Amino acid sequence: MPFSAQPPASGERCALSASLDNARHLSSLLRAVHFQDYATCLATASGLRVTVEDAKCIQANAFIQAEIFQEFSVQEESVMFRISLSVLLDCLTIFGSSSLPGASTALRMCYRGYGYPLMLFLEEGGVVTVCKINTQEPEELLDFDFCSTKVVNKIILQSEGLREAFAELDMTSEVLQITMSPDKPYFRLSTFGNAGSAHLDYPRDSDLMEAFHCNQTQTNRYKISLLKPSTKALALSCKVSIRTDAQGFLSLQYMIRNEDGQICFVEYYCCPDEDITEAEL
Amino acid sequence: MKCVIGGAQLRVFGRAIHAIARISDEFWFDPVEKGLALRSVNSSRSAYACVFFSSMFFQHYCWTAVSQPCQKEKQLSLPCKLIIKSVLPVFRCVNVLERNVEKCSISTSPSEHHITFQLLCRHGVVKTYNLTFQECDPLQAVFAKHMCPNILKVHYRLLADVMIHFPTSQEEITLSVTPMKVCFKSYTEEDTDFSRTMLTEIQLSPEEFDYFQVGVDSEVTFCLKELRGLLAFSEATSVPVSIHFDRCGKPIAFSIEDLLLEASFILATLCEAEKEAASPEPACCPRPWDSSKTGMDKSDQPSMDGASNAATAASKKPQQKGNTPNMDPAKPQSALAKQEVKNIPRGMERDVPGRAGAATAKAVGGEATEAPYAKVRELPMVPAVEPHSCCLAEHPHVLWGFQWDQLSQQHSWKTPALLGTLLGAGGFHWEMLLAEKDHKVVKASQIINTQILYHSFLPVQILHFPVPLLILWSCLLQGEGGHW
Repeated sequence: MPFSAQPPASGERCALSASLDNARHLSSLLRAVHFQDYATCLATASGLRVTVEDAKCIQANAFIQAEIFQEFSVQEESVMFRISLSVLLDCLTIFGSSSLPGASTALRMCYRGYGYPLMLFLEEGGVVTVCKINTQEPEELLDFDFCSTKVVNKIILQSEGLREAFAELDMTSEVLQITMSPDKPYFRLSTFGNAGSAHLDYPRDSDLMEAFHCNQTQTNRYKISLLKPSTKALALSCKVSIRTDAQGFLSLQYMIRNEDGQICFVEYYCCPDEDITEAEL
Repeated sequence: MKCVIGGAQLRVFGRAIHAIARISDEFWFDPVEKGLALRSVNSSRSAYACVFFSSMFFQHYCWTAVSQPCQKEKQLSLPCKLIIKSVLPVFRCVNVLERNVEKCSISTSPSEHHITFQLLCRHGVVKTYNLTFQECDPLQAVFAKHMCPNILKVHYRLLADVMIHFPTSQEEITLSVTPMKVCFKSYTEEDTDFSRTMLTEIQLSPEEFDYFQVGVDSEVTFCLKELRGLLAFSEATSVPVSIHFDRCGKPIAFSIEDLLLEASFILATLCEAEKEAASPEPACCPRPWDSSKTGMDKSDQPSMDGASNAATAASKKPQQKGNTPNMDPAKPQSALAKQEVKNIPRGMERDVPGRAGAATAKAVGGEATEAPYAKVRELPMVPAVEPHSCCLAEHPHVLWGFQWDQLSQQHSWKTPALLGTLLGAGGFHWEMLLAEKDHKVVKASQIINTQILYHSFLPVQILHFPVPLLILWSCLLQGEGGHW
């Protein structure tokens, strides 16, 4: 049940204040991008974006639109801070992460501005927890410059087809090779591990394929260790869009439906791996 | 070779792979004209599994003998026998497999050194796995099921229902039979703290079995973990399970047979300690094998007391110990000169020389080269071992030795490579240090398993060796050349 907020000290307005009836709507999405300890949060009038990066090669973004929240207000044009995602998730799931029907954690979030900690008020079953998480100077984020005009190949797949494949990826392989082509094999995921090579082919006329727009045959390799965390997002999602541009940059966009049927997005961007030499099949 | 497994049979095949995977991480993939055989043996050579799918099992089966003219290959007419690691991921989730996969095709190309598994799944998805294999020597266990006095045949459901009562942590169970009843009970070592263990015992009457034959009252103890794999597999096939066994110490075979496939799991059994007083020495001092008695069918037990006490005291788990044996074929063995045993423990004096035994052994030895399968399961007679003498071969290649007391006396001896491996893998109840002929020391580990069978071509002198059961171990594997 909604928790009536404790407003901040009189007169002061929060740069960001939001409230959410079910904190799981937020925590599950954040888990889908939780492969590093720290994340950068950007709050604008349209909603909250949480970004996690690694190795300057991969970036994951979780978008929670303002409509998901019961209350969402941002005083300045945008508010940005860096925060420990691990701590944030621990706080959001402080009442436990099991999803019992009926029991949900209500959340109120409040950030007064630069230099202030992020305040969380969480309530479940009459028990209230207050968390203060220190914020940090936001770091510069990568810009993959991925816009629809630059996309060479695009596929939209139902996630159920990919879930098993990603969960079973041969982790002894250093790379995941993605081939997208207007001709056979259309869409292929390949790994080259200790036991041998494995290829997963999805034909363009498969039931799972919602959209298939491939103009050019492209084969790109990505470090598998970087892409493996995207399995979490894939597990939550119902659809995934896979796009590559002329340079081989990969964009994975996951459409996630939360418990209330609202749609949120998580996306992963990854640079192709140039160092690995051609592995034998 | 190329074969295609259709939807319904995929479940069976996947279960077979999973069952074999419980034995070991590697298995032999052996396509022959009549079908496909999958075999596996665990690192301590105490469990062997073989599943043979006849060509009718497959939607399509095509095998051609490939001769390998290139100089590396030793085999000329047969396609290579292979070891494959990590095939399991292909058949990872068996239940999902049958829902999602329409058919699976397996093809080999000897020139490329990989086997291709291609799964045609739902929604048109195609999974292709190109797995590398290693060439290796053939693996085959020899076990004469028809010579077992005790045969039980039972529906898999009954066995599964029995096994479900044993906790998953239960490593070994004991099957004891008399003509009146059959009893499965959990096996515990003597040093177990009984106040903290749960012992389970299930008794069945002969009527529960589809076929019941008990020639010899016996009590055999074997490893449950390996059996569970077979039970899961038999559930997929719905074929009754046959159990062939003999007295304790002899292997027990669980098998399934129908028109399309045959599977056998042969497990070593523990030799139980008898009621006779345990040797007062530290448990690691075994008595030597009592030659005169072993010729008869009755008492293997007495001579093994010290041994089995040691086994129980040592409390080893077969699969965890043991070197990974190398698969080199054993080299032909030159005749050994007389062997002597060093440092015989005090228990030795009880031995009774058996002249008759020696003669038989010689005769047995003579037969060896002609008919390796001849004398299965009859323990050879050996002449007595003189106290305080050493088993030593004069031949430079073969010296035997063993360590009576695990902790103190260590002798290094030379043995042929394969034997060293096997003995290394299957120290009966004491640790052994053996050396290869180039002075490498192979340290053996302890297991509690005993003979599976033996080959009769062992020269007499070897039989002198007071641990003949280890020799018997070697016969589980027929290396190329097969004799040493």
